[in-house]
Amino acid sequence: MTPKSIVSQILIFVFYLLLQIFFVRQLVLFDYAFCFVYVASIILLPFEINKMTLILLGFVAGITVDIFYNTIGANAASMTLIAFVRPAVIGVLAPQRGYDERQTLSLNSMGLSWFITYATTLIFIHHFVLFLLEASDWELFFPVMLKVICSTIFTTIIVVIIQFFRRD
Amino acid sequence: MYQLFQFISRQKAFILFTFLEVLSLWFFYSYNNYPNAIFFNTSNYYAAKALGTSNSIREYSNLRDVNTELASENSRLNATIAKLQAQQLDKSIVNYKADSNVASRFKFVVAKVLGLTTTQFNNYITIDKGSADGLTPGMGVMSSTGVVGKIKSCNEHFSVLISILHSEYSVSAKLKSNNEIGSVKWKGVNPDIVEMTEVSRYKTVNIKDTIVTSDFNYVFPPNIIIGYVKKVGVKPDQTFHEIDVQLATNFHTLAYVYVINNKLLGEQKALEEKSGDVKIK
Repeated sequence: MTPKSIVSQILIFVFYLLLQIFFVRQLVLFDYAFCFVYVASIILLPFEINKMTLILLGFVAGITVDIFYNTIGANAASMTLIAFVRPAVIGVLAPQRGYDERQTLSLNSMGLSWFITYATTLIFIHHFVLFLLEASDWELFFPVMLKVICSTIFTTIIVVIIQFFRRD
Repeated sequence: MYQLFQFISRQKAFILFTFLEVLSLWFFYSYNNYPNAIFFNTSNYYAAKALGTSNSIREYSNLRDVNTELASENSRLNATIAKLQAQQLDKSIVNYKADSNVASRFKFVVAKVLGLTTTQFNNYITIDKGSADGLTPGMGVMSSTGVVGKIKSCNEHFSVLISILHSEYSVSAKLKSNNEIGSVKWKGVNPDIVEMTEVSRYKTVNIKDTIVTSDFNYVFPPNIIIGYVKKVGVKPDQTFHEIDVQLATNFHTLAYVYVINNKLLGEQKALEEKSGDVKIK
């Protein structure tokens, strides 16, 4: 990884966090679909990043968003979880001949169906943990699941749309 | 021992994950804990500053609506104040009760300024309310800070006002401190200063005294601010003070005005004109 690409990765990471905190926070559809586009900051890190860095970055992203959302630790918990689970999911979704050395983790290079499956899985796990922690009440299970599904769809759509704007 | 370290280094991702996950869950479930609440929520200084900036950007886009709301609230409050002030005269004079119709004869209509001039000799203001909203020529107009002028002519939807910065327009005024009556007129050059005349030089006038509309106006309720005394001078052979009044209204930034509808104006004028015709034996 060249220094230039490291810098651009950091910028992309910070971009998704800022997008989340300042713009998307107010974006709620029909009271059920919330958008947590900062998940993309972890999902879209390159394939070759090592696990320790990934988990640490997930924790940092989660804590930062927590500070602004007033949910002390729920985002951090779910982000750390998907950071840990991400390599496993990538392994499960490996195409038949394994991943190419030079492939970047983006829509253009991996194809729509792979990308949507990958993003939806991680986003679903994230939202599931997040909303379950927030609700903390098993009585509310059905509305929580509804929230999770609607928000997953919404966030995935936004992440895919942002992908269309990338150049590589 | 070596195998322990080997184990840890092979599983380091999992260990780090467990540690951080437990840490976040601990943060989450001990939210009643005072130090955590202080550090992690939005009252954290930098988070608050960043959110403050983004909020002020959003507030900026709402300013137009906020202004309109404030202007209409002001007109409502002005009407209430005029009514209450008139009723308050009750208390000072024994046995005097203000007629409730007379007390509530002033109604205020909000209008937005569409155009104005301050540099000509005779200045006029255009506003966006007209006869369709009940305005007629001759009605007085004020702003939230003071007197502005009176209506010269009306269209269905627009009106032209003679502003106080007009060489031929004068307002009956009084000194708030001692109720001395005088007349306020623009001298013609400086749009911030008007001149008050007809105040006898034997009455005391101090700098920064308030000049307000007198009770002898057809069109303005009493005690509306016109300005503040800036300079007092008297030539030895004159009987009146030469008072320079700093206008309380800033005509350069005038945006909203209130047109004063005196519902009993017709009655008052008609009666005074008729009394002029009555012969005294």
